[in-house]
Amino acid sequence: MIFLPAFIVIVFLTVYPIFNVFHMSFFKYNYLSDTKKFLGFTNFIRIITDRLFQKSFINTIIFSAAATFAEVGIGLFLALLFYGFFKGKRLFMIMVIFPMMISTMVVSSIWKTLYHYDIGLFNYILKSIGLHPVGWLINPKMALFSVIIVDIWQWTPFAFIILQAGLNTIPGEIFEAASIDGANYYKTIKLITLPILFNQILLVILLRTIDTFRIFGKVYALTQGGPGNATETVTYYVYREGFTYFNLGRASTASIYILIVISLISVLYIRNIMREEK
Amino acid sequence: MKKHFWVFFIVMLLVLLPFTVWSKGQQEKGAVKLTIAGRDGGYGKAMQLAVDGYSALHPDVSFEVLKLPGASLYEKVVIDMKTSVGTYDVIMIDDPVATQFQKAGWLANLDDLFKKSGKSLDPDIISTAVKLGRYPYADNGTLYALPHVGNVELFAYRKDIFNKLGLSKPAKWDDVLTDAKMIKQSEPDVYGVVFRGVKGNPIVAGFLPIYWAFGAKVLKDGKPALDSPQALNALNFFLKLKQYAPKGVSMYNSAQVKDALYGGKAGIVTEVWPSWVPKLNDPNESLVVNKVEVTTHPGEVEKSSPMIGVWLLGIPKASKYHDTAFDFLLYITGKEMQVKMADEFGIAPTRDSVYKVSKLISKYPWYPVQAAALKNAVGRPRTTKWSELENIFGTYLQLALIGSMNAQDALKEANAKMTEVLE
Repeated sequence: MIFLPAFIVIVFLTVYPIFNVFHMSFFKYNYLSDTKKFLGFTNFIRIITDRLFQKSFINTIIFSAAATFAEVGIGLFLALLFYGFFKGKRLFMIMVIFPMMISTMVVSSIWKTLYHYDIGLFNYILKSIGLHPVGWLINPKMALFSVIIVDIWQWTPFAFIILQAGLNTIPGEIFEAASIDGANYYKTIKLITLPILFNQILLVILLRTIDTFRIFGKVYALTQGGPGNATETVTYYVYREGFTYFNLGRASTASIYILIVISLISVLYIRNIMREEK
Repeated sequence: MKKHFWVFFIVMLLVLLPFTVWSKGQQEKGAVKLTIAGRDGGYGKAMQLAVDGYSALHPDVSFEVLKLPGASLYEKVVIDMKTSVGTYDVIMIDDPVATQFQKAGWLANLDDLFKKSGKSLDPDIISTAVKLGRYPYADNGTLYALPHVGNVELFAYRKDIFNKLGLSKPAKWDDVLTDAKMIKQSEPDVYGVVFRGVKGNPIVAGFLPIYWAFGAKVLKDGKPALDSPQALNALNFFLKLKQYAPKGVSMYNSAQVKDALYGGKAGIVTEVWPSWVPKLNDPNESLVVNKVEVTTHPGEVEKSSPMIGVWLLGIPKASKYHDTAFDFLLYITGKEMQVKMADEFGIAPTRDSVYKVSKLISKYPWYPVQAAALKNAVGRPRTTKWSELENIFGTYLQLALIGSMNAQDALKEANAKMTEVLE
């Protein structure tokens, strides 16, 4: 009985909406015209064979993998670099977390100006040192990576902070003992630091993978999925189907595909943790 | 426990009952609060001006004005009207989506409200703009919204550069191509031509006056008509024009086009909206004071085909204050308020007489041209699926613009996708 209120809240806020999305995914349902027609699995087949969805899915995988890998890698490097106390550390930490504190729309506006082909700072610098300007957001081969760079700039501090906190929980005696036993810096990292930090690293990878998989704001503000479909992502696809066209059936189906992928990633992580605990 | 609950319930009921009676009495007495869902930026400021003016005349009416970006406004009003919550009493509607709202029966019938108030629609309001608020889209369709902002697409060029190079106002789109080429060759710091290239609505809005002038149609007898020779000619022309545009034109939206125009970087701008140019002759804002001619588009196979893009005002059926909201609509679309909004914020009028106010003409010398364009403008196809069609068209146009597809394939694929949507 004691869990009943919590159970009711979970049912209404989580289970019911998910059930509703599942239910709607089997229908052709346009919210504007109120037309609802049972289609069975047709939406699932149509979405998965839709070239725009396929492109969006591939872009999302590339975005998620590249951004997560870079953010965790750079975050770990910085955490190791700034391990321990040094003068001005507090100020440094404030500066480091600053990008995370700014809203995505503001970050995107700033970067959009920096990336501008004709008047942007980056191309100005390139031109001033005699190099060719780069089509950061206008070149289909470059645009997705330009969006990834913005995400790395904004969210590497997150990885850094979590891993820094994890590092601080390792007793200093372990490092002292390793040093007495003759372990050099790289051996200490490989054999002591990384194995102890493994769970935190896994946690950051999970959180960043889930977050980057849902990338929306930066694409919306920087490229709107363009040029062409070069930066289309699955959440942007769902947004457009759901809130621009109000095709709730198709939007629900696409959401289920996202849910499946995120659930798979989460299960992999949880299995790893459980194995560790055993 | 049960007994306590019922005692508590009855006490609360007795306490709250007087409040509900009191609030109902307040409504009947005329203490009205109108909630307006409108746009941000200059449109929002103009709305505030009208709200303040109306409140001064009617102290019993208060307002809450939501100033929202276009996409957010659309989402909010759709969800509210669909659920008949009645949060909003007046809403701003972009004309292509008006058809959806009218067909769904979400808007109050303004013909009925005119009858009820004993007033009639002022013939001073330009009929092409009024027609967009009617459903079916015809001169005798039922009126569901009044035109608030008389946006129409215009064309601009640098008359100082044109004079220097001995060029005259382009009569045909082919002349634009020649002129842009000459500007690029002789003025290294100026782009021959500038337009919006961002996919979706921006590129479509920029391209349609060319497309229509080449004799092409988006829909013919309700079916997509992008696979016509006229459409191909128009897109091929657009791609030729791109040679003289900035390299990054595929990411140019209104801000970038305005920057290029105000900063003296654009020789020709194929798409100019009235709200972009009110400060063109203000030396504090512009480097091209009195150097830009704002005019109508050239023609080609067809006559000049500027696109109309009016912002309408409607009253959701679920609103509780139809009469007050309707009175406010008449006030904001009245001549006096339109003159003020045009003067202070450059809001494009929808009344013929406002375009003849000498104070405004001296400030915006292109007003006679703008009025003529508004009267002859072409509306986007009236379909409930316009958002989807526009997005498809805009995506494939941009794919052609960035060279990822050739013109023929882009149009063919866009046509097939549109057919799928309409089926």
